[in-house]
Amino acid sequence: MKKLLITLMLTVMAPAAFAVTTLKAEVNGMVCAFCAKGIEKKLKALPEGQAAFVDLKSRVVAFQLKDGQTLTDETFNKVIQDAGYSVTKVERVSQTVAEIQAQLAKSGKEGGK
Amino acid sequence: MPKQHTVAPFSVFSLGAFFLSQLVFPVHAAALMGFEDSAMLMTEIGRYNQEWMLNYSPALGQAIGVEQMRMSGKGEHATTITGINYTGLIKRWNLPSAQANIWFNGSVGEAKGQYDGFAYTPSVQFDMESTRLYFLAKARMIRAPGMNYDTAAVQSGFSFYEAGFDETQPWFVIEAKTMRNNDPGLQVTPALRLINKNYFLEFGVTNPWQGEGFAPRLNAMFVF
Repeated sequence: MKKLLITLMLTVMAPAAFAVTTLKAEVNGMVCAFCAKGIEKKLKALPEGQAAFVDLKSRVVAFQLKDGQTLTDETFNKVIQDAGYSVTKVERVSQTVAEIQAQLAKSGKEGGK
Repeated sequence: MPKQHTVAPFSVFSLGAFFLSQLVFPVHAAALMGFEDSAMLMTEIGRYNQEWMLNYSPALGQAIGVEQMRMSGKGEHATTITGINYTGLIKRWNLPSAQANIWFNGSVGEAKGQYDGFAYTPSVQFDMESTRLYFLAKARMIRAPGMNYDTAAVQSGFSFYEAGFDETQPWFVIEAKTMRNNDPGLQVTPALRLINKNYFLEFGVTNPWQGEGFAPRLNAMFVF
């Protein structure tokens, strides 16, 4: 019975423990890679980050957190705003950066694809 | 004192209006500085003008650096201006798929060569860009005792295709520029521009496009 309970608990907790959290922002003003490089550089310097992604065509900036790490929307927004751009929407999604990239490529929204 | 010759500003404005009229929505990037806590190296190497600038941006919209420019007027020896440069973002508009900016840029320093003494080069620039189209207008005073190389320029262009953030995007850009006391008074430079997240390269040829006056021009920017 004890083993069963432990197994059940692990089964319930496992998805939460390994859930992916990615902050995804819609950004105004991103028109060139040379100018938007600052966003990627600053995000990659954050210790909470697993991966960062910038796409000009879809106006998306995505930042995947490392397991167990947290980052407020305000901190995420500030990085983008300090690089000179305006954030119009932020959401937290359970997709990885790679999955977001693939999704945009599939929908034809990613620049250069 | 060499005779000054100028091109009527009307011709520049007419060209600007023409370019604007050809665009659905003006376009891409001529950032004069990098992002916060970054350094940017800019250079222009051409027959009529050579210039390089290195600046550091301690905060969004502010950059300070050093600049050296060398130019010569019609029938003159070259003058080199070495100075301290400041760049300020006066206003930025971030739109859904476009951006527009008004910049101030200027140096104070020393002129040496054909003209000597205190030199100053204040300028104002307006640019609008999307991922496919680009327009820029700029006016700059370039003065030293007895020297007037004031310039006005308009640039416009389009990208051949939209590129991903990690890809290089090619652009066609054309610039019309007047410089007082320079020959030709109206310099027209069609150019190929390559933009990558790590560099900005532009190679063009200024009129006249053949014979002894053949004048290639290279512009480059790097951000660190």
